[in-house]
Amino acid sequence: MSSDTSGREACVIGSGMIDFGELFDQSTDDMAERAYLNALDDVDHGISPSEIDAAWFGTLNIADDASSGASLAHATGLFEIPVTRVENACATGSTAFRSAVESVRAGETDVALVLGVEKMRDSAAGLIEGAALDQVWRGRGVTMPAFFGMRATRHMHEFDTTEEQVAKVSVKNHENGAKYPHAHYRFECSVEDVVESPTVTYPLNLYDCCPVTDGAAALLVASEDVASEYTDDPIHVAGSGLSTDSLLRGDDEALVGFPATTQAAGQAYAQADISASEVDVAEVHDCFTITELVTYEDLGFCEKGEGGTLIDEGVVELDGETPVNPSGGLLAKGHPIGASGVAQVVEIYEQLRGEAGAVQVERPEVGLQHNIGIGRNATGSVSCVNVLERR
Amino acid sequence: MYEPPFWRDRDRNERLAATECSSCGYVSFPERREVCKRCGERGEFSETTLEERGIVQSYVVQNRLPEAFETPLPLAVLDVPQVDANDGEGTGSEAGDENAGEPARVYGLFTETDPEAMEIGMEAEAVFRETFDIEGLPVHSFKFTVPRGESR
Repeated sequence: MSSDTSGREACVIGSGMIDFGELFDQSTDDMAERAYLNALDDVDHGISPSEIDAAWFGTLNIADDASSGASLAHATGLFEIPVTRVENACATGSTAFRSAVESVRAGETDVALVLGVEKMRDSAAGLIEGAALDQVWRGRGVTMPAFFGMRATRHMHEFDTTEEQVAKVSVKNHENGAKYPHAHYRFECSVEDVVESPTVTYPLNLYDCCPVTDGAAALLVASEDVASEYTDDPIHVAGSGLSTDSLLRGDDEALVGFPATTQAAGQAYAQADISASEVDVAEVHDCFTITELVTYEDLGFCEKGEGGTLIDEGVVELDGETPVNPSGGLLAKGHPIGASGVAQVVEIYEQLRGEAGAVQVERPEVGLQHNIGIGRNATGSVSCVNVLERR
Repeated sequence: MYEPPFWRDRDRNERLAATECSSCGYVSFPERREVCKRCGERGEFSETTLEERGIVQSYVVQNRLPEAFETPLPLAVLDVPQVDANDGEGTGSEAGDENAGEPARVYGLFTETDPEAMEIGMEAEAVFRETFDIEGLPVHSFKFTVPRGESR
């Protein structure tokens, strides 16, 4: 990070998640506790719960059973410390992570827990209610597939992007997810499978959409000063950015992408003092295929309009120059909202430490995590980008 | 007869009343703000009215929605021009008359439209309809459709 923000750097020293899926046999607290314990067990030199100074709890609270910091305390036994519940639409998890990083950098916290959890399957109506029944103009009838599908229609119109190029995002991510042990869906699919699957919202089909998935993930973030007590191989948080924008501010870029992502990435790159071309591996927000395709452009992996070409050239494949979503992304791994961003950082942490198993990319040093959320009756967007480095 | 939010928004919902930023020309609809959400200035806003038509900038066709909606439902982002946009009051238009004033960019639900007729760049007519009801009491506003006399 740039020297003018603080003298302290934040590092990830441990991570844990659970196998994502339709987890009817686990409560929100069950999932949260297990992710937390997995993170404790992951710390190379061990850690005691009493060494955790503060916690950040990311959840959208879709199941209405995890509304405040007290939920984290009850699930983990971490009482008597500051716990802050964070909600920032689908960028909740990475915003919680960023908040912990800021506190560590500021010198307020030496060791922080970040815990993201979402119980999606207990209340299946949650996403349909995104149609904002009580609104007249702002978001009435605009479901999440519609919000993102708008970009697909326009992108195909403006840049001659094809349905097949968009479908390739799903094919790639399912191929990766089939190898990733925590993924909800572990099957491969073809371009034909995607384009012939039932239409949810034209131009998006079923296999263009992430599944409805339960899950939890946890991270331990420590000041660089104390990180060596816990591991010889900490992963530095080199940059973090967060921005918001709107589809309806009149900016034509917002019809074919997310200006908030470009803004957040700009902040994170500046802090980390890197350019987009230096990113070795990325976990990006692929709630829908088109989201990932336009995000290549918004993050600067290619020029605006060239996302289709980038995937045709194999650049973002597991063995490509810049692998994107080796975990299978939200499309295969699932999208338990509060957990999604935290899990993406877990995966970048594993990649940078060389612990990603069957989906390990070759010797990455710089990893990027990106989360985007839609709020305010489908008019606003919020994007969070974090850059991690192995040094 | 209306719940408070719909009572507050009646001018926008029923008359397409909007406001235009004097600093950058941004047309705010349906929100009425003191700060412009595009240029960020605490500018002067002048009253304006939108035309009952718009140009489709992008669209989707939704197949799966709650029962309150007819499906398949075309839904678009439209640019809706101001009425009397050539009166010299507006600024900042990139195309056409330099005094034309900017359109508002809005979401629009479609009605009575064949999804196959949807395309980017098409003109759509705004028609006054019951949008939904609250315990039997109707809330009216505009939906969009292919203009009469053209293929639908």
